Amino acid sequence: MPVFPSKDWVASFIEEINRNKKYEDAAKDWEGDFNFVVEKDQKFPETVYIYLDLYHGKCRGGSLYKSNEAPKAAFNYSGPYQNWIRLIKGEFDPLKAVLVGKFKLKGSMMKIMRYTGAAKELVRTANLVDTQFQ
Amino acid sequence: MWYYRTPTVVFGEDSLSFLNTITSKKCLIVTDKVLEKTGIMDKVRKQLPDNTRVMVFSDIGQEPTFSQMTSAMDSIRSFGPDHIIAVGGGSVIDTAKVILFRYARPEMDIYDLTPLEHLGIKEAAKFIAVPTTSGTGSECSWAAVVSDEMEKRKNELASAEILPDYAILDPSVVLGLPPRQTVSTAVDAITHAIEAYVSTWRNFYSDALAEKALELITGNILTVLQDPGNTEARNSVHIGASMAGSAFSNSQIGLAHALGHALGAIFKVPHGTAVGLYLPAVVEFNSLEVGERYDRLNSIFQGPFRKDCLADTLRHLFSKMGQPTSISGATISMDSYIAAKQNLEKLAMESTGVVANPRESESGDIRRLLEAVMN
Repeated sequence: MPVFPSKDWVASFIEEINRNKKYEDAAKDWEGDFNFVVEKDQKFPETVYIYLDLYHGKCRGGSLYKSNEAPKAAFNYSGPYQNWIRLIKGEFDPLKAVLVGKFKLKGSMMKIMRYTGAAKELVRTANLVDTQFQ
Repeated sequence: MWYYRTPTVVFGEDSLSFLNTITSKKCLIVTDKVLEKTGIMDKVRKQLPDNTRVMVFSDIGQEPTFSQMTSAMDSIRSFGPDHIIAVGGGSVIDTAKVILFRYARPEMDIYDLTPLEHLGIKEAAKFIAVPTTSGTGSECSWAAVVSDEMEKRKNELASAEILPDYAILDPSVVLGLPPRQTVSTAVDAITHAIEAYVSTWRNFYSDALAEKALELITGNILTVLQDPGNTEARNSVHIGASMAGSAFSNSQIGLAHALGHALGAIFKVPHGTAVGLYLPAVVEFNSLEVGERYDRLNSIFQGPFRKDCLADTLRHLFSKMGQPTSISGATISMDSYIAAKQNLEKLAMESTGVVANPRESESGDIRRLLEAVMN
Protein backbone atom coordinates (compact mmCIF):
# COMPACT_ATOMS: atom_id res chain seq x y z
CA MET A 1 0.00 0.00 0.00
CA PRO A 2 1.71 3.24 -1.10
CA VAL A 3 2.35 5.98 1.41
CA PHE A 4 0.92 9.45 0.72
CA PRO A 5 2.75 11.39 -0.61
CA SER A 6 5.43 9.30 -2.32
CA LYS A 7 6.54 8.47 -5.87
CA ASP A 8 4.79 5.11 -5.54
CA TRP A 9 1.58 6.83 -4.50
CA VAL A 10 1.78 9.19 -7.48
CA ALA A 11 2.29 6.21 -9.82
CA SER A 12 -0.81 4.51 -8.37
CA PHE A 13 -2.75 7.76 -8.62
CA ILE A 14 -1.86 8.12 -12.31
CA GLU A 15 -2.99 4.54 -12.92
CA GLU A 16 -6.33 5.32 -11.26
CA ILE A 17 -6.75 8.53 -13.29
CA ASN A 18 -6.17 6.61 -16.51
CA ARG A 19 -8.67 3.93 -15.44
CA ASN A 20 -11.35 6.47 -14.45
CA LYS A 21 -13.92 6.68 -17.24
CA LYS A 22 -15.86 9.43 -15.46
CA TYR A 23 -12.76 11.61 -15.38
CA GLU A 24 -11.98 10.79 -19.00
CA ASP A 25 -15.51 11.83 -20.00
CA ALA A 26 -15.56 15.04 -17.97
CA ALA A 27 -12.05 16.10 -19.06
CA LYS A 28 -12.13 14.97 -22.67
CA ASP A 29 -11.21 18.48 -23.92
CA TRP A 30 -8.93 19.43 -21.03
CA GLU A 31 -5.35 20.48 -21.79
CA GLY A 32 -3.23 21.66 -18.87
CA ASP A 33 -0.95 20.41 -16.13
CA PHE A 34 -1.68 20.44 -12.43
CA ASN A 35 0.41 20.59 -9.27
CA PHE A 36 -1.13 19.14 -6.15
CA VAL A 37 0.81 20.90 -3.44
CA VAL A 38 1.01 19.11 -0.10
CA GLU A 39 2.03 21.83 2.31
CA LYS A 40 4.02 21.18 5.44
CA ASP A 41 2.23 21.25 8.76
CA GLN A 42 2.77 19.94 12.28
CA LYS A 43 2.72 16.32 11.11
CA PHE A 44 4.46 16.77 7.78
CA PRO A 45 7.85 18.51 7.73
CA GLU A 46 8.41 19.50 4.10
CA THR A 47 6.17 20.82 1.33
CA VAL A 48 6.07 18.58 -1.76
CA TYR A 49 4.50 18.87 -5.21
CA ILE A 50 2.65 16.16 -7.11
CA TYR A 51 2.97 17.16 -10.75
CA LEU A 52 0.46 15.76 -13.27
CA ASP A 53 0.52 16.23 -17.05
CA LEU A 54 -3.16 16.04 -17.99
CA TYR A 55 -4.36 15.91 -21.56
CA HIS A 56 -7.75 15.01 -23.04
CA GLY A 57 -8.99 12.93 -20.14
CA LYS A 58 -5.74 11.08 -19.52
CA CYS A 59 -2.64 11.64 -17.41
CA ARG A 60 0.44 11.48 -19.64
CA GLY A 61 2.88 11.42 -16.72
CA GLY A 62 3.85 12.94 -13.42
CA SER A 63 5.94 12.57 -10.33
CA LEU A 64 6.70 13.81 -6.83
CA TYR A 65 8.98 16.82 -6.41
CA LYS A 66 10.47 18.86 -3.61
CA SER A 67 9.13 22.39 -3.71
CA ASN A 68 12.31 23.92 -5.19
CA GLU A 69 12.45 21.30 -7.97
CA ALA A 70 8.80 21.22 -9.02
CA PRO A 71 7.90 22.09 -12.61
CA LYS A 72 5.56 25.05 -13.06
CA ALA A 73 2.00 23.99 -13.84
CA ALA A 74 -1.03 25.81 -15.20
CA PHE A 75 -2.93 25.05 -12.00
CA ASN A 76 -1.92 24.63 -8.37
CA TYR A 77 -4.26 22.99 -5.87
CA SER A 78 -2.67 23.34 -2.49
CA GLY A 79 -3.39 22.66 1.14
CA PRO A 80 -1.73 21.42 4.33
CA TYR A 81 -1.01 17.71 4.75
CA GLN A 82 -3.74 17.19 7.36
CA ASN A 83 -6.34 18.53 4.94
CA TRP A 84 -5.06 16.26 2.16
CA ILE A 85 -5.70 13.28 4.42
CA ARG A 86 -9.32 14.38 4.90
CA LEU A 87 -9.69 15.06 1.19
CA ILE A 88 -8.34 11.66 0.15
CA LYS A 89 -10.59 9.96 2.70
CA GLY A 90 -13.55 11.69 1.06
CA GLU A 91 -14.36 13.88 4.07
CA PHE A 92 -14.04 17.08 2.03
CA ASP A 93 -15.76 18.04 -1.20
CA PRO A 94 -12.79 19.26 -3.31
CA LEU A 95 -14.50 22.46 -4.48
CA LYS A 96 -16.23 23.27 -1.23
CA ALA A 97 -12.86 22.82 0.47
CA VAL A 98 -11.54 25.71 -1.65
CA LEU A 99 -14.55 27.90 -0.87
CA VAL A 100 -14.04 27.52 2.88
CA GLY A 101 -10.29 28.06 2.72
CA LYS A 102 -9.08 24.52 3.42
CA PHE A 103 -7.40 24.47 0.01
CA LYS A 104 -6.28 27.10 -2.48
CA LEU A 105 -6.64 26.90 -6.24
CA LYS A 106 -4.49 29.04 -8.54
CA GLY A 107 -4.61 29.24 -12.33
CA SER A 108 -6.88 30.48 -15.11
CA MET A 109 -10.28 30.88 -13.48
CA MET A 110 -11.96 31.16 -16.88
CA LYS A 111 -10.69 27.70 -17.75
CA ILE A 112 -11.20 26.01 -14.42
CA MET A 113 -14.78 27.24 -14.05
CA ARG A 114 -15.65 25.35 -17.24
CA TYR A 115 -14.15 22.15 -15.93
CA THR A 116 -15.38 22.10 -12.35
CA GLY A 117 -16.83 18.62 -12.89
CA ALA A 118 -13.52 17.32 -14.24
CA ALA A 119 -11.53 18.99 -11.45
CA LYS A 120 -13.80 17.45 -8.85
CA GLU A 121 -13.47 14.01 -10.43
CA LEU A 122 -9.69 14.36 -10.64
CA VAL A 123 -9.32 15.13 -6.97
CA ARG A 124 -11.80 12.43 -6.05
CA THR A 125 -9.75 9.88 -7.97
CA ALA A 126 -7.16 10.21 -5.20
CA ASN A 127 -9.79 8.59 -2.98
CA LEU A 128 -9.59 5.46 -5.15
CA VAL A 129 -5.91 4.88 -4.38
CA ASP A 130 -5.39 2.42 -1.56
CA THR A 131 -3.42 4.78 0.63
CA GLN A 132 -1.32 4.58 3.76
CA PHE A 133 -0.73 7.85 5.58
CA GLN A 134 2.48 8.79 7.32
CA MET B 1 -17.88 23.93 7.72
CA TRP B 2 -20.07 26.09 5.50
CA TYR B 3 -21.67 29.53 5.46
CA TYR B 4 -25.16 30.94 5.27
CA ARG B 5 -25.04 34.30 3.51
CA THR B 6 -27.95 36.68 3.05
CA PRO B 7 -28.58 40.37 2.53
CA THR B 8 -30.72 42.27 5.01
CA VAL B 9 -34.18 41.62 3.56
CA VAL B 10 -36.77 44.41 3.71
CA PHE B 11 -40.15 42.95 2.76
CA GLY B 12 -43.87 43.57 2.55
CA GLU B 13 -46.02 46.49 1.52
CA ASP B 14 -44.36 49.90 1.58
CA SER B 15 -40.89 48.36 1.94
CA LEU B 16 -39.57 50.73 -0.77
CA SER B 17 -39.79 53.46 1.85
CA PHE B 18 -36.65 51.93 3.36
CA LEU B 19 -34.78 53.93 0.71
CA ASN B 20 -35.73 57.10 2.55
CA THR B 21 -33.59 55.99 5.48
CA ILE B 22 -30.29 55.57 3.62
CA THR B 23 -27.54 58.18 3.75
CA SER B 24 -26.37 58.71 0.19
CA LYS B 25 -24.86 61.68 -1.59
CA LYS B 26 -24.55 59.97 -4.95
CA CYS B 27 -26.64 57.05 -6.01
CA LEU B 28 -26.36 55.00 -9.19
CA ILE B 29 -29.62 53.38 -10.23
CA VAL B 30 -29.21 50.42 -12.57
CA THR B 31 -32.36 49.51 -14.46
CA ASP B 32 -33.54 48.79 -18.02
CA LYS B 33 -35.12 50.93 -20.73
CA VAL B 34 -38.63 49.58 -20.16
CA LEU B 35 -38.62 50.07 -16.40
CA GLU B 36 -37.02 53.48 -16.72
CA LYS B 37 -40.24 54.77 -18.25
CA THR B 38 -42.60 53.16 -15.75
CA GLY B 39 -44.00 54.36 -12.47
CA ILE B 40 -41.67 51.98 -10.61
CA MET B 41 -38.68 54.22 -11.25
CA ASP B 42 -40.64 57.26 -10.09
CA LYS B 43 -41.50 55.41 -6.88
CA VAL B 44 -37.86 54.57 -6.26
CA ARG B 45 -36.60 58.07 -6.99
CA LYS B 46 -39.25 59.67 -4.78
CA GLN B 47 -38.14 57.55 -1.84
CA LEU B 48 -34.52 58.64 -2.01
CA PRO B 49 -33.45 61.44 0.35
CA ASP B 50 -33.87 64.91 -1.20
CA ASN B 51 -30.17 65.74 -1.30
CA THR B 52 -29.16 62.55 -3.11
CA ARG B 53 -27.76 63.03 -6.60
CA VAL B 54 -28.88 60.30 -8.97
CA MET B 55 -27.31 58.78 -12.07
CA VAL B 56 -29.33 56.23 -14.05
CA PHE B 57 -27.77 53.49 -16.18
CA SER B 58 -30.42 51.71 -18.22
CA ASP B 59 -28.65 50.54 -21.35
CA ILE B 60 -29.22 46.87 -20.56
CA GLY B 61 -30.74 44.44 -23.02
CA GLN B 62 -31.91 40.92 -22.39
CA GLU B 63 -29.13 38.50 -21.45
CA PRO B 64 -26.43 41.19 -21.39
CA THR B 65 -22.80 40.56 -22.21
CA PHE B 66 -19.87 41.80 -20.13
CA SER B 67 -19.17 44.67 -22.54
CA GLN B 68 -22.82 45.77 -22.43
CA MET B 69 -22.87 45.56 -18.64
CA THR B 70 -19.76 47.72 -18.33
CA SER B 71 -20.36 50.14 -21.21
CA ALA B 72 -20.76 53.16 -18.91
CA MET B 73 -17.96 52.50 -16.45
CA ASP B 74 -16.07 55.73 -17.26
CA SER B 75 -19.15 57.85 -16.52
CA ILE B 76 -19.94 55.83 -13.42
CA ARG B 77 -16.39 56.28 -12.08
CA SER B 78 -16.56 60.02 -12.75
CA PHE B 79 -19.87 60.18 -10.91
CA GLY B 80 -18.48 58.20 -7.96
CA PRO B 81 -21.62 56.64 -6.41
CA ASP B 82 -21.69 55.68 -2.74
CA HIS B 83 -24.79 53.52 -3.35
CA ILE B 84 -25.74 51.26 -6.26
CA ILE B 85 -29.44 50.40 -6.48
CA ALA B 86 -30.53 47.73 -8.96
CA VAL B 87 -34.18 48.05 -9.97
CA GLY B 88 -35.20 45.24 -12.28
CA GLY B 89 -35.12 41.53 -13.01
CA GLY B 90 -32.21 39.13 -12.91
CA SER B 91 -30.28 40.69 -15.81
CA VAL B 92 -30.43 44.13 -14.20
CA ILE B 93 -29.37 42.92 -10.77
CA ASP B 94 -26.58 40.80 -12.27
CA THR B 95 -25.44 43.85 -14.26
CA ALA B 96 -25.30 45.89 -11.05
CA LYS B 97 -23.15 43.14 -9.48
CA VAL B 98 -20.71 43.32 -12.38
CA ILE B 99 -20.71 47.15 -12.23
CA LEU B 100 -19.90 47.04 -8.50
CA PHE B 101 -17.04 44.64 -9.23
CA ARG B 102 -15.59 46.77 -12.04
CA TYR B 103 -16.17 50.01 -10.12
CA ALA B 104 -14.10 48.71 -7.21
CA ARG B 105 -11.54 46.66 -9.17
CA PRO B 106 -11.13 48.11 -12.69
CA GLU B 107 -7.84 46.28 -13.18
CA MET B 108 -9.37 42.85 -12.72
CA ASP B 109 -10.57 40.52 -15.45
CA ILE B 110 -14.19 39.42 -15.50
CA TYR B 111 -13.09 35.85 -14.81
CA ASP B 112 -11.51 37.01 -11.56
CA LEU B 113 -15.09 37.28 -10.36
CA THR B 114 -14.95 33.89 -8.66
CA PRO B 115 -15.39 32.72 -5.09
CA LEU B 116 -11.73 31.68 -5.18
CA GLU B 117 -10.44 35.28 -5.22
CA HIS B 118 -10.59 37.91 -2.50
CA LEU B 119 -11.89 40.99 -4.32
CA GLY B 120 -12.04 43.60 -1.57
CA ILE B 121 -14.99 45.41 -3.16
CA LYS B 122 -17.49 45.74 -0.32
CA GLU B 123 -16.28 49.19 0.76
CA ALA B 124 -16.68 50.76 -2.70
CA ALA B 125 -20.45 51.31 -2.47
CA LYS B 126 -23.49 49.98 -0.65
CA PHE B 127 -25.50 47.67 -2.89
CA ILE B 128 -29.30 47.51 -2.79
CA ALA B 129 -31.42 45.26 -5.00
CA VAL B 130 -35.09 45.90 -5.75
CA PRO B 131 -36.34 42.91 -7.79
CA THR B 132 -39.21 43.71 -10.15
CA THR B 133 -39.79 40.06 -11.04
CA SER B 134 -40.50 37.17 -8.68
CA GLY B 135 -38.11 34.42 -9.61
CA THR B 136 -34.47 34.98 -10.36
CA GLY B 137 -33.48 35.28 -6.70
CA SER B 138 -30.53 37.39 -7.81
CA GLU B 139 -31.24 39.87 -5.00
CA CYS B 140 -30.34 37.14 -2.50
CA SER B 141 -27.61 35.35 -4.40
CA TRP B 142 -23.89 35.83 -4.85
CA ALA B 143 -24.00 34.68 -8.48
CA ALA B 144 -24.15 36.66 -11.71
CA VAL B 145 -24.93 35.27 -15.15
CA VAL B 146 -22.98 37.01 -17.92
CA SER B 147 -23.66 36.09 -21.55
CA ASP B 148 -20.81 35.58 -23.97
CA GLU B 149 -22.16 36.33 -27.43
CA MET B 150 -19.00 35.27 -29.26
CA GLU B 151 -18.92 31.84 -27.66
CA LYS B 152 -22.71 31.52 -27.32
CA ARG B 153 -22.34 30.70 -23.66
CA LYS B 154 -23.70 31.87 -20.32
CA ASN B 155 -20.92 32.29 -17.80
CA GLU B 156 -21.90 31.60 -14.21
CA LEU B 157 -19.77 33.93 -12.12
CA ALA B 158 -19.90 34.11 -8.35
CA SER B 159 -18.41 35.79 -5.33
CA ALA B 160 -19.77 36.33 -1.84
CA GLU B 161 -18.65 39.94 -2.23
CA ILE B 162 -21.29 40.73 -4.87
CA LEU B 163 -24.15 39.68 -2.61
CA PRO B 164 -26.37 42.76 -2.15
CA ASP B 165 -26.30 44.45 1.24
CA TYR B 166 -30.08 44.92 1.12
CA ALA B 167 -32.89 43.24 -0.82
CA ILE B 168 -36.16 45.17 -0.92
CA LEU B 169 -39.18 42.97 -1.66
CA ASP B 170 -42.05 45.38 -2.23
CA PRO B 171 -45.08 43.63 -3.79
CA SER B 172 -46.23 46.87 -5.44
CA VAL B 173 -43.39 46.65 -7.99
CA VAL B 174 -44.51 43.24 -9.28
CA LEU B 175 -48.25 43.90 -9.50
CA GLY B 176 -47.91 44.86 -13.17
CA LEU B 177 -45.62 41.99 -14.18
CA PRO B 178 -47.00 40.55 -17.46
CA PRO B 179 -48.35 36.96 -17.34
CA ARG B 180 -45.60 35.47 -19.51
CA GLN B 181 -42.85 36.85 -17.25
CA THR B 182 -44.85 35.92 -14.15
CA VAL B 183 -44.88 32.30 -15.32
CA SER B 184 -41.27 32.15 -16.48
CA THR B 185 -39.84 33.71 -13.33
CA ALA B 186 -42.05 31.62 -11.01
CA VAL B 187 -40.89 28.45 -12.77
CA ASP B 188 -37.30 29.63 -12.26
CA ALA B 189 -38.00 30.07 -8.54
CA ILE B 190 -39.62 26.63 -8.27
CA THR B 191 -36.53 25.17 -9.94
CA HIS B 192 -34.25 27.02 -7.49
CA ALA B 193 -36.14 25.61 -4.51
CA ILE B 194 -36.15 22.03 -5.82
CA GLU B 195 -32.50 22.02 -6.93
CA ALA B 196 -31.35 23.61 -3.67
CA TYR B 197 -33.25 20.99 -1.67
CA VAL B 198 -31.45 18.05 -3.28
CA SER B 199 -28.04 19.62 -3.94
CA THR B 200 -25.13 17.71 -2.40
CA TRP B 201 -24.22 21.02 -0.77
CA ARG B 202 -27.63 21.35 0.88
CA ASN B 203 -27.81 22.29 4.55
CA PHE B 204 -30.44 22.95 7.22
CA TYR B 205 -30.75 26.60 6.24
CA SER B 206 -31.20 25.96 2.54
CA ASP B 207 -33.63 23.10 3.29
CA ALA B 208 -35.87 25.30 5.43
CA LEU B 209 -35.92 28.11 2.89
CA ALA B 210 -36.52 25.76 -0.05
CA GLU B 211 -39.50 24.08 1.62
CA LYS B 212 -41.16 27.37 2.61
CA ALA B 213 -40.40 28.88 -0.78
CA LEU B 214 -42.10 26.00 -2.58
CA GLU B 215 -45.14 26.29 -0.31
CA LEU B 216 -45.47 30.04 -0.91
CA ILE B 217 -44.93 29.91 -4.67
CA THR B 218 -46.96 26.84 -5.61
CA GLY B 219 -49.74 27.77 -3.19
CA ASN B 220 -50.22 31.21 -4.75
CA ILE B 221 -49.00 31.25 -8.34
CA LEU B 222 -52.29 30.20 -9.93
CA THR B 223 -54.13 32.87 -7.92
CA VAL B 224 -51.63 35.42 -9.20
CA LEU B 225 -52.20 34.33 -12.79
CA GLN B 226 -55.98 34.53 -12.39
CA ASP B 227 -55.94 37.75 -10.37
CA PRO B 228 -52.69 39.63 -11.12
CA GLY B 229 -53.63 42.54 -8.85
CA ASN B 230 -53.96 40.33 -5.77
CA THR B 231 -51.33 41.92 -3.54
CA GLU B 232 -51.40 39.19 -0.91
CA ALA B 233 -50.77 36.40 -3.42
CA ARG B 234 -48.14 38.49 -5.25
CA ASN B 235 -46.40 39.19 -1.95
CA SER B 236 -46.29 35.48 -1.13
CA VAL B 237 -44.82 34.53 -4.51
CA HIS B 238 -42.36 37.44 -4.32
CA ILE B 239 -41.07 36.45 -0.88
CA GLY B 240 -41.07 32.75 -1.84
CA ALA B 241 -38.99 33.47 -4.92
CA SER B 242 -36.48 35.36 -2.85
CA MET B 243 -36.29 32.53 -0.31
CA ALA B 244 -35.67 30.09 -3.17
CA GLY B 245 -32.86 32.37 -4.38
CA SER B 246 -31.31 32.38 -0.94
CA ALA B 247 -31.69 28.59 -0.74
CA PHE B 248 -29.82 27.87 -3.96
CA SER B 249 -27.26 30.58 -3.29
CA ASN B 250 -26.34 28.82 -0.05
CA SER B 251 -26.35 25.33 -1.58
CA GLN B 252 -26.12 24.98 -5.36
CA ILE B 253 -28.05 24.78 -8.60
CA GLY B 254 -28.30 21.45 -10.42
CA LEU B 255 -28.72 19.85 -13.82
CA ALA B 256 -31.92 21.71 -14.79
CA HIS B 257 -29.88 24.90 -14.61
CA ALA B 258 -26.91 23.37 -16.43
CA LEU B 259 -29.22 22.34 -19.30
CA GLY B 260 -31.31 25.52 -19.15
CA HIS B 261 -28.27 27.80 -19.34
CA ALA B 262 -27.04 25.86 -22.37
CA LEU B 263 -30.43 26.13 -24.10
CA GLY B 264 -30.77 29.82 -23.27
CA ALA B 265 -27.31 30.61 -24.61
CA ILE B 266 -28.08 29.13 -28.01
CA PHE B 267 -31.81 29.69 -28.47
CA LYS B 268 -32.44 32.83 -26.36
CA VAL B 269 -35.26 31.12 -24.51
CA PRO B 270 -36.21 33.02 -21.31
CA HIS B 271 -34.20 31.63 -18.41
CA GLY B 272 -37.12 30.35 -16.34
CA THR B 273 -38.74 28.72 -19.35
CA ALA B 274 -35.47 26.99 -20.21
CA VAL B 275 -34.72 25.55 -16.76
CA GLY B 276 -38.35 24.53 -16.22
CA LEU B 277 -38.36 22.69 -19.52
CA TYR B 278 -35.80 20.22 -18.19
CA LEU B 279 -36.82 20.16 -14.52
CA PRO B 280 -39.30 17.21 -14.62
CA ALA B 281 -36.82 15.05 -16.57
CA VAL B 282 -34.00 15.98 -14.19
CA VAL B 283 -36.22 15.09 -11.21
CA GLU B 284 -36.86 11.66 -12.76
CA PHE B 285 -33.12 11.22 -13.38
CA ASN B 286 -32.19 12.20 -9.82
CA SER B 287 -34.95 10.18 -8.15
CA LEU B 288 -32.64 7.19 -7.84
CA GLU B 289 -30.50 9.17 -5.38
CA VAL B 290 -32.93 11.56 -3.68
CA GLY B 291 -36.38 9.98 -4.15
CA GLU B 292 -37.35 10.47 -0.49
CA ARG B 293 -36.47 14.13 -0.55
CA TYR B 294 -38.55 14.59 -3.70
CA ASP B 295 -41.47 12.81 -1.96
CA ARG B 296 -41.19 15.32 0.87
CA LEU B 297 -41.30 18.20 -1.61
CA ASN B 298 -44.21 16.60 -3.46
CA SER B 299 -46.22 16.60 -0.22
CA ILE B 300 -45.91 20.41 -0.09
CA PHE B 301 -47.99 20.88 -3.26
CA GLN B 302 -51.68 21.48 -2.64
CA GLY B 303 -53.96 18.47 -3.01
CA PRO B 304 -55.64 19.21 -6.37
CA PHE B 305 -52.28 19.53 -8.12
CA ARG B 306 -50.36 16.77 -6.42
CA LYS B 307 -49.68 13.59 -8.37
CA ASP B 308 -47.95 10.40 -7.23
CA CYS B 309 -44.46 11.68 -7.89
CA LEU B 310 -42.83 15.10 -8.03
CA ALA B 311 -42.02 14.94 -11.75
CA ASP B 312 -45.70 14.34 -12.62
CA THR B 313 -46.84 17.02 -10.18
CA LEU B 314 -44.51 19.49 -11.87
CA ARG B 315 -45.75 18.58 -15.34
CA HIS B 316 -49.33 19.01 -14.15
CA LEU B 317 -48.68 22.37 -12.48
CA PHE B 318 -46.61 23.61 -15.43
CA SER B 319 -49.39 22.73 -17.88
CA LYS B 320 -51.83 24.77 -15.72
CA MET B 321 -49.38 27.67 -15.68
CA GLY B 322 -48.61 27.57 -19.40
CA GLN B 323 -44.97 26.52 -18.93
CA PRO B 324 -43.79 24.28 -21.81
CA THR B 325 -42.55 20.78 -21.06
CA SER B 326 -41.24 19.99 -24.54
CA ILE B 327 -39.07 21.63 -27.18
CA SER B 328 -42.01 22.22 -29.51
CA GLY B 329 -43.87 23.95 -26.67
CA ALA B 330 -40.89 26.25 -26.26
CA THR B 331 -41.22 27.20 -29.94
CA ILE B 332 -37.86 25.76 -30.93
CA SER B 333 -37.79 23.85 -34.20
CA MET B 334 -36.85 20.21 -33.78
CA ASP B 335 -34.32 20.39 -36.61
CA SER B 336 -32.40 23.26 -35.04
CA TYR B 337 -32.52 21.57 -31.62
CA ILE B 338 -31.13 18.34 -33.02
CA ALA B 339 -28.44 20.28 -34.88
CA ALA B 340 -27.43 22.02 -31.65
CA LYS B 341 -27.53 18.93 -29.44
CA GLN B 342 -23.79 18.29 -29.37
CA ASN B 343 -23.07 21.89 -28.45
CA LEU B 344 -25.83 21.87 -25.82
CA GLU B 345 -24.28 18.75 -24.30
CA LYS B 346 -20.83 20.37 -24.15
CA LEU B 347 -22.15 23.60 -22.60
CA ALA B 348 -24.18 21.71 -20.01
CA MET B 349 -21.21 19.52 -19.06
CA GLU B 350 -19.14 22.68 -18.54
CA SER B 351 -21.75 24.30 -16.30
CA THR B 352 -21.24 24.57 -12.55
CA GLY B 353 -24.70 23.00 -12.31
CA VAL B 354 -23.17 19.53 -12.66
CA VAL B 355 -20.97 19.90 -9.58
CA ALA B 356 -23.47 19.49 -6.75
CA ASN B 357 -26.27 17.69 -8.57
CA PRO B 358 -27.33 14.76 -6.38
CA ARG B 359 -26.76 12.16 -9.08
CA GLU B 360 -23.51 12.19 -10.98
CA SER B 361 -23.88 12.67 -14.69
CA GLU B 362 -21.75 11.72 -17.66
CA SER B 363 -22.12 13.05 -21.16
CA GLY B 364 -24.44 10.13 -22.05
CA ASP B 365 -26.79 11.13 -19.22
CA ILE B 366 -26.79 14.75 -20.38
CA ARG B 367 -27.60 13.59 -23.92
CA ARG B 368 -30.55 11.52 -22.66
CA LEU B 369 -31.87 14.47 -20.67
CA LEU B 370 -31.64 16.66 -23.76
CA GLU B 371 -33.61 14.02 -25.65
CA ALA B 372 -36.21 13.64 -22.89
CA VAL B 373 -37.87 16.93 -23.87
CA MET B 374 -38.02 16.18 -27.62
CA ASN B 375 -41.47 14.54 -27.48
